[in-house]
Amino acid sequence: MTTPPRAVSLRGVEKRFGDVAAVAAVDLDVRPGELMVLVGPSGCGKSTLLRLIAGLEEATAGEVWIGGRCVDNVAPGDRDVAMVFQSYALYPHMTVAQNLGFGLKVRGASREDIGRRVDDVAALLDLAGLLSRRPGQLSGGQRQRVALGRAMVRDPGVFLFDEPLSNLDAGLRLRTRDEIAALHRRLGTTMIFVTHDQVEALSLGDRVAVMDGGRLQQVGTPHEIYRRPANLFVAGFVGSPPINRLPLSRGADGHLAGGPFRFAGDWAFDEATLGVRPEDLGADPEPTGALPGATPADFKTTVLRVEALGSEQRVHLDGPAGAAWIARVSPALEVAAGDRLAVSVAWDRGHLFGPDGARVAAPPCPIPDLRT
Amino acid sequence: MSRPPERTDGGLPAFLPAIVTVAFTAGLAVILLSAAASVNGARERATKNVARMAANLWEIPGAGADAVAQLLGERATIEAVPADGGAPRTRTEPGAYGYRPGALDPSVWIAVASDPDRAPPPRPTTPLALLGILLMIAWTARRRRRPPPPRYPAATLLLAAAFLALVALLAARRAHHELEAISAAHLAHGIRAAEIAVTSGADPTRAARAAGLPWGTTAALADPARLWTMPRAVSEAIAALPPPLRTAPTSTLQAGGATYHIAQTTLPPNTAPPTQSPTAPTPAPTTLHLALLGYEETASPTVPLTAASAGSTLLVAIILSLLPLSARPRALRRTLAAWGFLAPAATLLLVFTFGPLLFSLWISLQEWHLVDPAHPFAGLDNYRNIILDTAWWSSIRNTAVFTLHVPLAMAVALALALLTQGSRRAVRWARLALFLPSITSVVAIAVVWKWLLNDGYGLVNQLLARAGIGPVPWLTSPDTALASLMLISVWMVVGYQMVVFQAGLAAIPRDWYDAARVDGAGPLQRFRHITLPGLRHTLFFVLVTSVIGSFQVFGLVYVMTEGGPLGATDVAVYHIYREAWEFLRFGNAAAMSWVLFAVVFAATWLHFRFLEGRRAHA
Ligand SMILES: Nc1ncnc2c1ncn2[C@@H]1O[C@H](COP(=O)(O)OP(=O)(O)OP(=O)(O)O)[C@@H](O)[C@H]1O
Ligand SMILES: [Mg+2]
Repeated sequence: MTTPPRAVSLRGVEKRFGDVAAVAAVDLDVRPGELMVLVGPSGCGKSTLLRLIAGLEEATAGEVWIGGRCVDNVAPGDRDVAMVFQSYALYPHMTVAQNLGFGLKVRGASREDIGRRVDDVAALLDLAGLLSRRPGQLSGGQRQRVALGRAMVRDPGVFLFDEPLSNLDAGLRLRTRDEIAALHRRLGTTMIFVTHDQVEALSLGDRVAVMDGGRLQQVGTPHEIYRRPANLFVAGFVGSPPINRLPLSRGADGHLAGGPFRFAGDWAFDEATLGVRPEDLGADPEPTGALPGATPADFKTTVLRVEALGSEQRVHLDGPAGAAWIARVSPALEVAAGDRLAVSVAWDRGHLFGPDGARVAAPPCPIPDLRT
Repeated sequence: MSRPPERTDGGLPAFLPAIVTVAFTAGLAVILLSAAASVNGARERATKNVARMAANLWEIPGAGADAVAQLLGERATIEAVPADGGAPRTRTEPGAYGYRPGALDPSVWIAVASDPDRAPPPRPTTPLALLGILLMIAWTARRRRRPPPPRYPAATLLLAAAFLALVALLAARRAHHELEAISAAHLAHGIRAAEIAVTSGADPTRAARAAGLPWGTTAALADPARLWTMPRAVSEAIAALPPPLRTAPTSTLQAGGATYHIAQTTLPPNTAPPTQSPTAPTPAPTTLHLALLGYEETASPTVPLTAASAGSTLLVAIILSLLPLSARPRALRRTLAAWGFLAPAATLLLVFTFGPLLFSLWISLQEWHLVDPAHPFAGLDNYRNIILDTAWWSSIRNTAVFTLHVPLAMAVALALALLTQGSRRAVRWARLALFLPSITSVVAIAVVWKWLLNDGYGLVNQLLARAGIGPVPWLTSPDTALASLMLISVWMVVGYQMVVFQAGLAAIPRDWYDAARVDGAGPLQRFRHITLPGLRHTLFFVLVTSVIGSFQVFGLVYVMTEGGPLGATDVAVYHIYREAWEFLRFGNAAAMSWVLFAVVFAATWLHFRFLEGRRAHA
């Protein structure tokens, strides 16, 4: 594999379908050799963005740059990108070998050249025994590999994946995810990978771009995305079980208050939302906060339900402001619905979001509530 | 957990064997009755004809009661019309016909009894049928004692079918015997009546026709000038008969595609045929030949008997097929219900689709003439005729050439389908305009195009003349007529094909095109590698249906060119039509239809084979 990895850069890219803005003012830089994951809920414009990069859609505004040149007027086939479709889009009337070689054939590569490269890719993806079959005679996973091979055989500067794993069963999806990660390490090619599965996004991406409503919400490493979500949407979208929320509002004393907690400070807004990840909650039958960073400002509550998942327990709690919270605790903890628990919060890992949803800061430690 | 076994006694299942017997008995009854009916019908028609014949003789001056008595003897009674005038009676009593001679003498009735000598002889078929019914009842009784095993009683069916066929065969042979006798007697009467007419100086042709012997004709061979209405071919054929046959009292003769019965009669010297030369001395005696177009019994019992035995065999087979189910009443009920729902449609299909098909196959094996009630079995003669018929093969060749418009139409339709994708207003109107010919009557289209393409005043030639191009003989030259029809046909079918192609195009996933674009395929390569393979089923469908349709082209030819000029547009179906309705050779026409069917079938089969070969994948 000889082509150097390409950088991809979107500058103010916008795509409207009539009145619908499928993609709005997206600026995104993908570094050469990087595996960038686009993640977001269904209909947020991920596929559209990918198709804009591939050249299958024309941007309403903005520019797409690949490998240091503006490709707005370059046909999809000349952009040095390859794409794997969610449906795989294998040509049903061609054999696997013909499917793999199609891109080379239409470019006028010589027969020997095509044969050699098809064989290389087939060996790499373990497709050698299937070359003379047609897509209709393959399993879902095999089709997926053929689709992958069809992209690889042309040795492109950028790989585009549109939810390539969503048609696979859970086990195969995990395996294929690892294979793609391994492939990326090995080829070192730039890859842009679309998924709506945030676990997949975090596990696979060098960096992750979270989208919603056609806009980029945050671009960052998985750690940044998870630990420092730029806004309430990212915080809520990434993480399973979802982040626990507590609405706050300014009380008579000027502090932000919600449930048993009051946060002293010079706040520029009257409403805010507190977010705490389930693993940042400590639960203990003994009301002595044992979690690092926990303060005595715990709260006591009732267990609503327990999900014992084996490696962890998810404890549904009667939250501090009525809505249920979920705590992720060690399976060693013996707890059952109806038990009383003392819950501690790792405040330095919590998030405070302003009224517009943007993250403000980690909340300070609340003022102990004298009522409890 | 074991369920109690389903009860097999009582209810419908127990009656199935009895129903088989009833169906079998009914089949036998239908066979015997229809054989009897065809004989009785023939006898009655013959009696009616003889009565007519007698009434006709009555009117001949100089014939009258004597002639009637001479012809019919005891069988005819002549009675006065009742004083009150009486209502005209046709049928007086069973087996007898009354006839009132026309205007000349309205005062009498002539009643003719059916031939008393030819009362139905005892039928050996009936005891045989009774024996079969007894056997069947025995079988039923045995069935009712022992529950039926869960398998199809094939032996019973075979026996029943063989029995039904045997009875049908015997009945048919007997009926044929009697029909032949009736026919012979009838013919003898006819010849006799014609002779009486001749000797009375009346028109023997009329006498024969009154006897139901069409186209009776006579000629005095000794004097060709005395020819009445005998076709030249017939008189020549009589003259050419070898002497022993020519002098025999009766013989048969094939001439002009028909069978004539020749009777020889010797005119007494004192009578003369009504010729125009009263002064000439009458040579006496004169030998006169009467040629009567053969009378054949139209109500041949073969078809109804075959139908009756096949139908009752089928019925017995169906009921027998339910027997294995009778151990499982629920399955039986379901099956019966299913057949109940299917029966109306299946009956329609049998009666109106397969029935006519088989009937045309039957016709194709006969010499079948529309106005001639005789249609002797011809075996494969019709097929041999048409295989040797160059006009037929040239019509097949024209059809094949005409079919070449299909690929052209498909190419145009595909191009139009690609151009008119989408839903813009202009595109929608274009689609509508292109589709209109498909929903317009072909006759209307043909008339309009015939007018447009007229050599002299047609719009097309006028426009061409403006452009300085000489008049093109669109439909009037053998070189251009077929091509013109092909172009019009293209124009007619393109809209429909386009719509089908659009449906096919819409079914091709957009992802395939996207993948091909990313792979670097240009528009032509996408068409070649994505569109065409994606459309292959659609293309095949359109190809096969259009080829079949173009093999059946008729309206266009019928209205625009009538097969001309010089047979240049004589296509197969038009040829068949003319064979049947112009030349009245239905046997040939039916045989041609079957040859055409074979050709179309072979073409379709080849298409399928070709496609199968190229379609290993899903
Ligand atoms: N061709 C089109 N015409 C009109 N609207 C479109 C078209 N393609 C996409 N859209 C709209 O653009 C928006 C984004 O679509 P897109 O396919 O990019 O979503 P997505 O993020 O890929 O969703 P999913 O995860 O379900 O695949 C959607 O609201 C969709 O309805
Ligand atoms: Mg999508």
